[in-house]
Amino acid sequence: MIWAVAIALGVVITAGTYLALSRDVFRCLVGLALIGSGVNLLVFTTGRLVTHVPPIIDAAERQLSAAANPLPQALVLTAIVISFALLCFSLVLVVRLILVAATDDVTQLRAAEPPATDAYKPPLEERL
Amino acid sequence: MARDSHHTNAVAVAPAALLPYSLLPGTLFVALAYLLAVEPLPWAFAGSWVPALQVDFAVHIDGLAAQFLLLITGVGTLVFVYGAGYLAGEAKARRVFVLLLLFMAAMIGAVISDNLIVLFVFWELTSVLSFLLVGYHHEQESARKSAQQALLITGVGGLSLLAGIILLGEIAGTYSIQQLISRVPQFIGDTRLNAALTLIFLGAFTKSAQLPFHFWLPNAMAAPTPVSAYLHSATMVKLGIYLLARLDAAFSDLLFWEYTLVGVGTLTAVVAAIQTLREGDLKRILAWSTVATLGTLTMLVGLPGNGAALAVATLLFAHALYKAPLFFVAGNLDHGAGTRAIDQLTGMRRYMPWTAAAALVAALSMAGLPLSFGFIAKDAITLAKAEAEVLHLVSYATLFVTSISVAVAAIAAIHVFWGRDTVPREAHPHEVPLTMLLPPLLLVALGLLFGIAPTLVDPMLGAAAHAIAPDFDAATVDVSYDLLPVLEATFGAVVFGVAVYLGWDRLHALLDRVSHLDRVGPESWYWRKLKFLPRLAAWQTRLLQHGLLHRYLFTVIGVVTIAAVALIYAAQPDYHWPAVDTLSPPVLGAALLISIAALTTLFVRDHLVLVLVSGLVGYGSAVLFLFTGAPDLAFTQFAVETVFVVVAAAVLLKLRRMEPLRRVTTEARFRPLALVVAVVFGATMTALVLLVAGLPFDSGLAEFFGAQSLPAAHGRNVVNVIIVDFRALDTLGEIAVLAFALLAALPLLKLAREARG
Repeated sequence: MIWAVAIALGVVITAGTYLALSRDVFRCLVGLALIGSGVNLLVFTTGRLVTHVPPIIDAAERQLSAAANPLPQALVLTAIVISFALLCFSLVLVVRLILVAATDDVTQLRAAEPPATDAYKPPLEERL
Repeated sequence: MARDSHHTNAVAVAPAALLPYSLLPGTLFVALAYLLAVEPLPWAFAGSWVPALQVDFAVHIDGLAAQFLLLITGVGTLVFVYGAGYLAGEAKARRVFVLLLLFMAAMIGAVISDNLIVLFVFWELTSVLSFLLVGYHHEQESARKSAQQALLITGVGGLSLLAGIILLGEIAGTYSIQQLISRVPQFIGDTRLNAALTLIFLGAFTKSAQLPFHFWLPNAMAAPTPVSAYLHSATMVKLGIYLLARLDAAFSDLLFWEYTLVGVGTLTAVVAAIQTLREGDLKRILAWSTVATLGTLTMLVGLPGNGAALAVATLLFAHALYKAPLFFVAGNLDHGAGTRAIDQLTGMRRYMPWTAAAALVAALSMAGLPLSFGFIAKDAITLAKAEAEVLHLVSYATLFVTSISVAVAAIAAIHVFWGRDTVPREAHPHEVPLTMLLPPLLLVALGLLFGIAPTLVDPMLGAAAHAIAPDFDAATVDVSYDLLPVLEATFGAVVFGVAVYLGWDRLHALLDRVSHLDRVGPESWYWRKLKFLPRLAAWQTRLLQHGLLHRYLFTVIGVVTIAAVALIYAAQPDYHWPAVDTLSPPVLGAALLISIAALTTLFVRDHLVLVLVSGLVGYGSAVLFLFTGAPDLAFTQFAVETVFVVVAAAVLLKLRRMEPLRRVTTEARFRPLALVVAVVFGATMTALVLLVAGLPFDSGLAEFFGAQSLPAAHGRNVVNVIIVDFRALDTLGEIAVLAFALLAALPLLKLAREARG
């Protein structure tokens, strides 16, 4: 079971990283979302996958017995909500950026850079 | 307007207003002299400062420290008096005096502290104050560059000194100089000792302007003359010599110590003596001859034997008594005649008789002629060399350096002041006020007095020599005329020196012809290094701060991957891979859904489809959560993913209806380097999860929450209880993050709407 999940999260993180390394700002955003999902899976999985019983105490009992680990679930729940906030904000930012700069190529976003004639910071050449 | 108000603020200061500054060093000098007369040395005091680091504020004043204290306060008093006359009328005079007072305090701190770390702190303070004083005429670029040079060279030396001190402290187990000296036999064989000493040498050599760091000192002559006389002749540049003399008691038996000091000192003295001939500015001539004296002092510290210790103390004292007055003379010429260029100065004694008298007596001492204290110093040096049996080469070098001293003395006293005044001038030179005459006259009078009756200073010099060489018996010191060999050496030096003086102009022209050698000298290295620094900064800025989002990400992910792999590799022995156990079909299905959706995103070009496919990864995760005992997670993930996909798709559709964008056209469909980075990073994360799963599991926290959920928080859904109760503050933070994201997004959206409208 662990192998399947581990490979799946590896694939998600790989795909997310590849997209994030793109020059297309929208693909970067989607890449960020995928990396977030992958890391959530990673945190969840390190708490061990032993059972499908949810961590809810039965009405007849006073404490939890033989259920899934509740702690990573609580952490990942928080992480999902936070990454949702992050993504929504990034989406607004990206839209604004596209409208203002009239491009979705991150290499074209050079407004804060020194001019190409700057003596100490010469114009860059593309490598990646 | 701003410039005008600046000028009106800067009020010219009268000399009388500046004189009170000299009361502080004067009082200190008198108090010190009185205490030295009544209280036997050494004086010690210890207070703890940073005990955990063995840094105590320990004070140890022995003969050497006492001699330095007398020089610092004594010459200091006269410098303050002189400065009151010299800087009168200058707008920034008060600043110089405040800085000089601070400098004096730092200098006193450096020579009285017994703890090497405390000494270092004061040492660096003197460097910083020297920087501020050299840069006094900060409106001139050359002064700024000289100040920067002095600070960079002594500052780098200071760092090296700190490293040397720490290493030495590690070897000796103490930072106290006195304990260090007593513990020497225990660590003299330590292999790290030479490294520690080399670092300390670098510190001392930069401070005392030894080869190859000698060039900063003549450039520091950009400072006002009182500053040059005080810092760059009498006190601060001697701090390196002081430290070496301090440690000489510990290391004088090491051949490395002896050879380095004698070699570097002799070379410095010879090079500086040659450089003297190339200068035409009296102050720079004096500066080079100061470097030559510093070289001689370094050489003497390196020489073994008690005579050398006495020679160090005597030359230190003699140099202060003749070089400070000569600097004052140079300053007087600047004031009275308006120039320091020696080819513009002849026959000045007609206009400046008292300055001429001071110059003449100081020059006698500098030339080492009989009846001057300089002669006593020469006597001590000759005896020291006889005792140490130095190489002939060193003897010849000393003879050469002494001869140049004679020539420089003749330039300062005869060339400038005697003969006819043949240079046409607009205004006649005039004598300077009393405040600028008294200090040089007093110092040369003292030199004359001690030259005639050296027994007056025997106790002081003996105590200093005893501090440098503990075997030295202070009671037997007798600086006196040991006539024959000394007269012989003096005669030789005078004959050769007079020859140099007569041929000065020709030598000057000759050396001008080989000035292209400067292009390979140490100072040219300095300037090249200085030009190289901005280029290095530009290169690394371009490398790291390129302003390209994807390359920043590349760096971050690369570093994280390398760190993770290194950590995994380092802890390898503790890990083993988990077993491949039976699979539950829903989990396998979810994992397949996630993987296939993720891989599909790589091939999708259309943004809308990309968002939809990436949503499938979230749905897959939700399914996975559902079948691994986390229904809360599953529902949240479903909700979040649905909302995000709907919102993102809506935004995309809206964007599409607007003006056509400049789309990314140059990016290749397949980016191998990015793929390699991505695969390595993803594989590392997979390996990490697998290796963690192979470790024994500590279920303590899970059990705690399971046991406490109902009794402590009255909730049966343990995940909910953790979120709203046990980690309630974290959840509050999470809500705050959502609120902030909304707050930040709102104005952006508003702007976007306006941009469209």
